[in-house]
Parts: sequence; C-alpha cells; structure tokens
Amino acid sequence: MTPGRATGGMWYTFRTNRVAQAGGTIIVSTLMAILLVRLLSPYGPNEKDYMSILHMPSLAHPFGTDSFGQDVLTRVVYGAQVSLIISFGGLILGGLVGSVIGMASGFWGGVLDAVTMRFIDLLYSFPTYVLALCLMLLLGYGSRSVSLAIALVYVPNFARLARSMTAATRAENYVTAARLMGQSPTRILLREILPNIAAPLLVQFSAGLGFGIILEAGLSFIGLGVQPPTPSLGVMMADGKDYFQKAPWVLTLTGVSVAWIILGLNLLGDGLRDALDPQLRRRLS
Amino acid sequence: MIGSFAMLVVGAAVVFLLLHAIPGDAAIAALGDSASPDAIAAFRAQHHLNDPLAVQFWSWAQAALTGDLGQSISLAGGFSTAALIGGSLPNTLFVGAYALILAIAISLAGGSIAASRHGRIEDVLATSGAIVTISLPDFWLGYVLVLVFSLGFGWFPAYGFTRPGDSLAGAFHSGFLPALAIAVPMAGILSRMLRATLLETFRRAYVVSAHAMGFGRFFIFWHYVLRNALIPYVTAIGLQARYLLGGVVVIERVFGVPGVGSVMVDAAFARDYGVVQGCAVVFLLIVIATNLLVDTICGLLDPRRTA
Repeated sequence: MTPGRATGGMWYTFRTNRVAQAGGTIIVSTLMAILLVRLLSPYGPNEKDYMSILHMPSLAHPFGTDSFGQDVLTRVVYGAQVSLIISFGGLILGGLVGSVIGMASGFWGGVLDAVTMRFIDLLYSFPTYVLALCLMLLLGYGSRSVSLAIALVYVPNFARLARSMTAATRAENYVTAARLMGQSPTRILLREILPNIAAPLLVQFSAGLGFGIILEAGLSFIGLGVQPPTPSLGVMMADGKDYFQKAPWVLTLTGVSVAWIILGLNLLGDGLRDALDPQLRRRLS
Repeated sequence: MIGSFAMLVVGAAVVFLLLHAIPGDAAIAALGDSASPDAIAAFRAQHHLNDPLAVQFWSWAQAALTGDLGQSISLAGGFSTAALIGGSLPNTLFVGAYALILAIAISLAGGSIAASRHGRIEDVLATSGAIVTISLPDFWLGYVLVLVFSLGFGWFPAYGFTRPGDSLAGAFHSGFLPALAIAVPMAGILSRMLRATLLETFRRAYVVSAHAMGFGRFFIFWHYVLRNALIPYVTAIGLQARYLLGGVVVIERVFGVPGVGSVMVDAAFARDYGVVQGCAVVFLLIVIATNLLVDTICGLLDPRRTA
C-alpha cells in the first residue's frame, strides 16, 4: 500500500466515522473559538482591571474575572494555545525519539533490542509526575522543560508500540522482497515499514496530546511547570485554586475548557483507531 | 525477580546521575548565598560532595540497602530521609490502594454492563461516560468533588487526611475524595478495556458452544467469560500503575495528604535532592512491586503462563 492511498483511505473512513467526526468537530470549533476570541475580545490576556476583581460570569465576562480582574475567557484562550503548543512539541519529540528507538529495536532485534527495551521498561516504571519532576529540577522550570518532560514520559509508549509493530511487519513478504532487492535497512524502515505502522503511532499521538495537556497542567498546578505570568491552563488553575471557595468559576471553567479540548482529542483518537483498524471495528460492532 | 532488582538498581543510578547533573552547588542551595567559604567546605566534606560520582553512588546505594537514605538538608534538625519517607509511605500506599479498589469496582461494573447490554442505551451511557471521565484532569476533578461533596453537602472534609494508623475509619472517610479523583479517570480507561475484551470473549467458540448447551447467561459469564477476560484487564491495571502513582503525587497536594508525593514536591521546592532521590526510588520500587504482583495474578488466572 502506498502512503498516498493510506491517507486517502483515512480521509474516507474519517468521513464515515461518527466518533472521529465528533472529535474533529470539537477540535475545529475550539480552534475557531480561539481565533474568534483573539480577534474580538476587548481584553488582553494580562490586562488587569482592579475595578472588576472576581466578578461572576456575565455578558461582559462570559467566564468571569480572576483575582487581578483579568478576563478568564481571554486567558483560557491564550492559555489553551500555550498548553497545546507545549504538549504538541513534547509529543512530536517523544514520538520521534520513541518511534526511532522502537523501530530500530524491532527491526534488528538481538542485544540492541534486549538492552534498549529494558531501559524503556525502566522509563515506563517511573510514575509520570516523578519522572517529570526530576527532569524539571535538572532543566529548570518553564515551558521548554515541560515539553521535554512530556517527551520523556511518552518515549516508552511510542518505543513499545513501534517495536511490536515493526517486529510484526518485519516478516511480511514485501519487506523480504525489499531486502532481496538490496535496499538499505534505513530505506526499508522508512519506505516499507513506516507507512504500514504509522496509523497506530498517529492514534497514540492523538491520545497522548490530551494527556500531555493534563501533565502540563498538573506540573504547572503544583508550581513546578510553566511559571506565571505565562497564561498556561495549569498556571490559571493553580491561581484559581487559591480562592476557589470564593470564586469557583475560575478553576471550574478553566478545567471544563481543558476537559473539553481533551475530550475532542480523545474522540478523534478513538475514531481514527476504529477507522484504521477495520478488523477491530468488525469484531466490536 | 532478579530482573526487577536490576531494574531498581539501574533506576536508582539514573535518578542519582540525573539529580547530580543539576547545575548549581547543593551546599550553597542548603546554606544560602551568604554562607562563608569555610561553612561551604565543611558542608561539602560532611555530605561527601567532593568524592567522585561513582563513589558517591556506591556509598549511597550501600547505605540505602540498610534503610539509610541520608539526611534531609532542607529541614532544620536534620530529619533522615528514611524517616520522612517511612512516615509518609503508609498514607501514599493507602490512598493509592484505595483509588485502585474504587477504580476496579467502578470499571468492573461499567465494563460488564456495557458489554452485556451491547448496543443498548446502558452501553451508550457507559461508553460515553468512560470517554468523558478519561478527559478529566484528576487534580481538577479533586476540586470539583470538594466543591460538591465537601462545601455543598458537607459529607467529606475538604482538606486534610487522617492517618490510617490513627483511625482506619477516619482514613477511609478523609481519603475517599482524593482516591475517587484518581480512580474516576482510571476507571474510564479500564472499563473501556474490559468492555472490548468481554465483547471479544463473547464471540469465542467455547462461549458460543456453552450457549448452545443451554447454560444460563450468568453461569456462562461467570465461569467461561470473566476469567478469560480478566487477564488483559489485570495486565492493563499493571500498565496504569505509573499513571495512578503519578496522580497520587498531585492529588496529595490538592487534599493535603502527607504522603511521599508531598514530601517529594516540598523537597523539590527546597532543592533538597537527597530527599527527591529517595522518594523517586521508593516510587519506582512501588511500580516494580505492582508489576510483579500483576504477573503473579496473571499466572494464577492462567496457569499456562507460569510454565
């Protein structure tokens, strides 16, 4: 199967898969809302108005205002952008490194496989925040370190997936054929194997993007991640928790926005998985 | 067993190297910028900071095997790391196990109902409920639970935790919301997993023939389906251990549970790397032990595996 046909098939199944459509709708409408609020909002993300501190949600401030009188909706929109970029960067890096390790491991096997996969198992045995916290101490707090922490947490997921898929694909006839034709291992990995294992990696990416946002939010929430005044979603929730008995909307509505974005990503990932694995779908329906 | 131990040692070495690669002087971090050079030199000598890394790790590992994880440098009075962790570990284990039990209870119910009522309204509700719960950040869910059940209904304390050693009933009561906040997203993942496995098992030939022989539905579910479906389910629980304990770290902060996660975060803020290191190794130990336990349970469920 050529890569072109694979993506064409994906688009077709996406059009016929209701779960993927629901996820896609959420993501696209959220992106449009982000754009609209950025264009139309009369407030800046760090614009303080000490005359309207902790106002309830109203027409002027649909999500209310926080302890500095900043408009929560505007900050959520800017924060979502920051958090998405951080998570996206982390997943791209973690996905690339993990996939390369996994594919090499699954393709060549032997001692390389045994040693690297033990190391991957070790990485996978650290609780997510413990791993992230140690890395934050090493690299210092801030957006870039959070991205790297997300990458490190996700390397083992991608490596394990890529390894098992590559090991299963290695024995296929088209791989043997390519080998007999004298193609180099790199070329076989990139041209023959990668297109055939890309789909599950993509699904992992979509689901991981959501968890990356949770990880960023959690780290920033305990104060070890993105630092204020950068408006990431975690920073805003950390701020909102300080006065959440008095003004619960800041924490609650920011969290609802986070959950909404992640729900969209999860639905998209689910839909993609069903679409890309017709055998699974047939078994389950 | 040997593999797990080797993994623990390598893991401890990795954490050790990682934390020793941090730029900045631990002595200055502990004593402050205004410390005299003499005091810094004395501090470095006392904590063996001048030795080569390998020597430092070797003596740390040797001491760790006897239960000595060094002294905290941030807490006045020189608390030992082992005492800090020893005092907080029961709370972490309690909340973690509590969350796991809740997650298993919810997901067993949700997954079984969804699969046995496949395609009906119960299935749709359970399946959509699962994907929504997976999307909730656990620490945020903690605050929402506090808002509803503590501040609204007043059923549970909003903050604080009764140690299981002081009052077991109190620990179950005060630990319920933190455990539930961790359990709900995890239950979503597990019940989806269980539903998929159950649906697949329903189609197996031996289940179909059991139906043909006229056995009752509940009899078949209990004796033919569940045991076979439980193996991937238990394996999935093992794979969730890192997320569960990760969640515990954050949730402990939200509810003020004095656990290992709280100790670790406090130590991170104080740049007390010895304590961070001890906590990280203890967390690693818990996950590795959980995975050994999962392997054992899978072996019991399917005796072929232990061969």
